Amino acid sequence: MERVLLKNIENPNSAEIDEYLKAGGYRNVSKAFDMRPEDIIEEVKKSGLRGRGGAGFPTGMKWGFAIADPKFPKYLICNADEGEPGTFKDRPILERNPHLLIEGMIISAYALKAEYGYIYLRAEYPKAKEILDRAIRQAYERNYLGENILGRDVRFHLTVHQGAGAYICGEETALIDSLEGKRGQPRNKPPFPVNVGAWRMPTIVNNVETLANIPYIVEIGGEAYSKIGNPECPGPKLYCVSGHVNRPGVYELPMGTTLREIIYTHAGGIRNDKELKAVIPGGVSTPVLPASMIDCRMDFVSMPKAGSMLGSAAVIVMDETVCMVKVMHRIMKFFEHESCGKCTPCREGTGWLRRILESIEKGNGRPGDIELLRDISEDMMGKTFCPLGDGAAGALRGMLKHFEYEFEEHIAGRSRCKGG
Amino acid sequence: MAKKVGVTINGKTVKVPEGTNLIDAASQAGVEIPNLCYIKGMRGIGACRLCLVEIEGGRGPVTACTTKVKDGMVVNTDTEQLREMRQFVIDLILSMHPLDCMTCTKAGVCTLQRYAYESEIKESSFSRKKFGYPPDESNPFIKRDPEYCILCARCVRVCKEQGTNVLDFMGRGVGAKVVTANDKPLHESGCTFCGSCIDACPVNAILEADRWRKGREWDYERTHSVCLLCGGACDTVISTKDNLIMKINAGGEDGSVQRYICAIGRFGYDAVASDKRVLSPLRRVNGELKETTWEEALQLLSERLTKGKASILLTGALMNEDISTLLKVAEDVIKTDRIATTVSLYADEESMKDSDTADIDSADLILLVGLNPSQWKRVHPSLDASIRRRLSRGARLVSISSEAVDIGEVADITLRGEEPGLIKQIAKSMISKGMKANKELSELTGDTDTTEETERVADLIKEAERIVIFTSPALFRSVRNLSLIKKMDIIAVPNEANARGVVLSGIKPDGKLLKEMIEGSTEVLYVFGEPPVERRPDTGFLVVQSPYMSNLAREADLVLPSTTPYESSGSIVSFTGRVKRLSRALRPYGEAKQHREILASLAKVMGKVIKEGKTDIKKALKGRSKPSPSPFEKKEGLEIDEARFMEETNSCVINSSRLLWLREAEKAVGV
Repeated sequence: MERVLLKNIENPNSAEIDEYLKAGGYRNVSKAFDMRPEDIIEEVKKSGLRGRGGAGFPTGMKWGFAIADPKFPKYLICNADEGEPGTFKDRPILERNPHLLIEGMIISAYALKAEYGYIYLRAEYPKAKEILDRAIRQAYERNYLGENILGRDVRFHLTVHQGAGAYICGEETALIDSLEGKRGQPRNKPPFPVNVGAWRMPTIVNNVETLANIPYIVEIGGEAYSKIGNPECPGPKLYCVSGHVNRPGVYELPMGTTLREIIYTHAGGIRNDKELKAVIPGGVSTPVLPASMIDCRMDFVSMPKAGSMLGSAAVIVMDETVCMVKVMHRIMKFFEHESCGKCTPCREGTGWLRRILESIEKGNGRPGDIELLRDISEDMMGKTFCPLGDGAAGALRGMLKHFEYEFEEHIAGRSRCKGG
Repeated sequence: MAKKVGVTINGKTVKVPEGTNLIDAASQAGVEIPNLCYIKGMRGIGACRLCLVEIEGGRGPVTACTTKVKDGMVVNTDTEQLREMRQFVIDLILSMHPLDCMTCTKAGVCTLQRYAYESEIKESSFSRKKFGYPPDESNPFIKRDPEYCILCARCVRVCKEQGTNVLDFMGRGVGAKVVTANDKPLHESGCTFCGSCIDACPVNAILEADRWRKGREWDYERTHSVCLLCGGACDTVISTKDNLIMKINAGGEDGSVQRYICAIGRFGYDAVASDKRVLSPLRRVNGELKETTWEEALQLLSERLTKGKASILLTGALMNEDISTLLKVAEDVIKTDRIATTVSLYADEESMKDSDTADIDSADLILLVGLNPSQWKRVHPSLDASIRRRLSRGARLVSISSEAVDIGEVADITLRGEEPGLIKQIAKSMISKGMKANKELSELTGDTDTTEETERVADLIKEAERIVIFTSPALFRSVRNLSLIKKMDIIAVPNEANARGVVLSGIKPDGKLLKEMIEGSTEVLYVFGEPPVERRPDTGFLVVQSPYMSNLAREADLVLPSTTPYESSGSIVSFTGRVKRLSRALRPYGEAKQHREILASLAKVMGKVIKEGKTDIKKALKGRSKPSPSPFEKKEGLEIDEARFMEETNSCVINSSRLLWLREAEKAVGV
């Protein structure tokens, strides 16, 4: 497959506007400006593009809601708060292909009649901040940003806003709160940001990868785009593979590539000839899958059928040496640390789950602990304010579904786990 | 009015206005949905997750505080699954909360305690965790103890909504903590010590600093009353035990933006039991005030009143029943018509008599004319807080003033300039927008130009449905012209609690007469309450009838101990035109008596029987005259330094309570 999102990134100067232009960059801006905004939205709808942040909401539909709201100004926000552990798929775009993102945002803003845009960038990407700032400056100099873009009656201003290190700010309403200068905490929905978002105005929040797809959709048309990968959720997809593989990294492949192909064909298989034990397919909030299930397709439609989710397509590969109790403990520690504290079941529930897991991990588990873990995650599921609590509970439930025996062994003290 | 929709809750169907949330709807059906974070009147935040309910046909449980009723909705609040869910949440909260209910001050009124009890929990199934955050005990008003905090955010939201805005969260997750900016002590944070956070806290995390070991909640007797310490006349609830006040809380209706009291109203009660009190009649003998009996004191007063022409001076904090007795005694017994009131310092008869009744809670547009309310300066603090709260609930504000106005920071439009001219321009803008005015008024506005800003104000007025204008009394006549163009409620805001009652009772605020009494000479001067008069006026005989040994009382020939409002009953007319009642919360201290009792006894000594305490105030309130076109002018001679007036009329309360600490602390940080 021809690379779309990671096009040209081997070029050491790929982040420079001249190199980007040389490779054909920004030409879709003029093409888009020759279209009517509603036609672009129509193309995006036709393309079948679904949000790449993890939830997979149809992008065209989201845009349709935003454009239907009569309030102005409208804001376009790029969610670059890539915080899900194991996820680094947006990073190559931000650091190696920033102009693709900017081009995508200009076209999106034009389609959505937004005149101000923000890239909400996680604070842990300082290099991306520098690169984006430079790229935006270059885009202003060449009049791709600013007033009367390319001599047309279009204006779009773009700013990078750095987060302050909270995972929850990747949730779009918490992100908006944080952008407004408040403490980042999820807001009640509805109203959704497309109606009441930043400064109470209609706001479209899209993931980096989502926006980076827009120029290509404009280029080849929604129809052609919809034929890439799984037709139910088409498009190129970035898979970031980490863990016990020979070639960890970000791979651009058609949506719906199987886990097996990703791990063995592209990431070079398991390191040191060990056996594959388990895969967390889409970042730590998605339920783990055992080695036996890696023939499932990595897309928004197939993964739920396998009992997990595509999430951010952060494939974390674990070989036979890994202790699943330890993994789960580490994951829960993350959720406890990142729970914003607003709602009780998540704030207290994650803490309590972590403590039980910790005691099991340390060899102090008691009979009944597994049942308690199940009860608590059951009580949390669907009852927390935002999906963070669901993610924590869901990850644990997935782990117990496939690896309960390891927890039992830990508690019974029959064997130290293989991971040691 | 919003359309009504039918909703069935636990089998009971009620009709509630569209847009009502399920907690409020359920409460109308007599069903309490447990919650820890919901604040009536404010938007639900869905944080505590206790109010989860099931809606038939819905996907899963939803939080009642964030769900609005729909017609035909069928809601269950008490299913097996929900009970289990609530138990889980309470269980989790208990794991972070001390289980010392045995000795906890909040026992009996702690919401968490009640829910834990109701959900059959003995102790948390989870191990206890502690953070060891130290309590903030750096001031004598409010103690904050994070160990008890359940992170419900009620204090933070209340403080923000009323615009005081000193509390917020620091940190996240289980380690989150309610703090001031930079975690400074309260008195260095811009806190006004109004204590709204105390009223909001469901547990023992924020409480009166002196509350511990002052008796259990169930030992308290609670009395609904009104604070008479400024023009706000806020509702209060006084908790007493053994004839001592233990605490005072805001008493406004739950959910109302007027549920607020300031630090003076909440903590000034220390003065009641202080040594500043006058507890028996005192008469001057050889230059010194000596205790005497009521009999002797009234005998002396009676003689003096028979010998010399009496002048009477009363404050605007007297209750209606006292005033009506006073008027009767003045007419029939003392036989004087020289009655002056401190109301004349800031208001005229018309503004106090013809002000409307208004409901801030339903206002969608508020205009503030020539007023600069401020919680921090304690000038109409409750008005400032109520308006700010109303704004956060969707109303709009226009501020019109010749001086910079603090609340202007949250106003939709701020007009700065001479008020009468601006009002005139607004009137003209309203007429030019097609709102109808009679010929006379149109002529009155004929010679003025409108501006872009006054046009915008006129647009807001045109859109609004419930307009309330708060104005300084001096501008009342000018402002009232606007109500000839569109229906609106206009309130002249006085500086004393019962100023409207004083005037409606028939006392004319006569500034000249007041000046004569204070600066000229009188034969007998009979003073009720604590007017801001520091030195003894030139008079043959000075009688001061007051609960406190004020500076003026110190120079009197006769001091008669009257009761404080806490020891009195009666009624007042608030600035919004409501008759508010005070019930007696304390038995009078010492030999203090209510003004009207003293007056009736005096009449008896002077040979007349007076029936005390009858008032026609409600009738008087209805007798407002209709507005008529008036010139756009500001009435002269009604300008006072409001902050100073507040301080002077309450100097005894402030100086003999812990408020003195606050005054010093505020001086230190330069408020």
